[in-house]
Amino acid sequence: MAGAQAFETDFWKDAGARKVWDEIVPGEPRKTIPYTLTREAIELYCRSVGETHPLYFDEAYAKTTRYGGLIAPPSIHIMLMFACTPADDWMRSPGTVNAGQSWSYNVPARPGDVIRLEARALDKFIKRERLFVVHDNVFFNQHGDVICSGRGWTIRPA
Amino acid sequence: MTVTFESLTAGDTIEGPSFAVSRDSIRLFCDASLDYNPLHLDDDYMTGNFGKTQFGGVIMHGMNNFGLISRMITDWAYPAGAIHRRLETRWVKPVRPGDTIRPSGIIKNKQLTARSRWVLIDVVVRNQDDERVATGEAMVEFPA
Repeated sequence: MAGAQAFETDFWKDAGARKVWDEIVPGEPRKTIPYTLTREAIELYCRSVGETHPLYFDEAYAKTTRYGGLIAPPSIHIMLMFACTPADDWMRSPGTVNAGQSWSYNVPARPGDVIRLEARALDKFIKRERLFVVHDNVFFNQHGDVICSGRGWTIRPA
Repeated sequence: MTVTFESLTAGDTIEGPSFAVSRDSIRLFCDASLDYNPLHLDDDYMTGNFGKTQFGGVIMHGMNNFGLISRMITDWAYPAGAIHRRLETRWVKPVRPGDTIRPSGIIKNKQLTARSRWVLIDVVVRNQDDERVATGEAMVEFPA
């Protein structure tokens, strides 16, 4: 998985460099990294959730469809969120609990796409003693087309 | 039988795939999603408290539910020539190794807009005890 070779899987390592709830500024852009989506990364993601549709695996089949070639499943943004952000991004803070997300899909991501993320915290609040941050994200392909946009509610580690 | 926009009515159901959750499935999801939060890897860490919440052991990624629901929606929509356009989910209950979960959907409504046709679907993921672990709504476009 070429795009993930440098990926730090120990989320404790950069924990001290990440913003805590108090430091997160709603509206401030998050640092992001362009990421080239590979067929291997798509296939690995598909395997993890049992996706078997030939649109994701069989190029000859995919060419006969309205998509004209291989695509990634819409929910590929789950991995793109981590692929497109640096190790000190607060989404990686150990203990970050995901409370829910909503995503809208425009065009599919495809193998070979160079994907760019625009992201920020949109809101933060305290509810029932829990520290929430709302994140707001848009993924674009190399043509500037929106792939998908989504929002999530996270509970921050205390 | 392939679904058509015309033939769908409120109350129609969609059955998703059964998914056996294990330490291996959670570890695979870590590698596939690049989400290595210790919530999903470290039992010792998970004996602690999380801002008022206690889990007692590793839990499945909430987004694994999301991925399963999304798979159900696309597998239903593709043969109909329809397009998965939106999914909103909330996590209701943690999912642990040993659980078996299954997403399902129920058609809530159909709507025509100026340029297209839409089906709104209530979705839920249940565990082996029929408890709801995730709920949400999906929106599928049937291009006119």
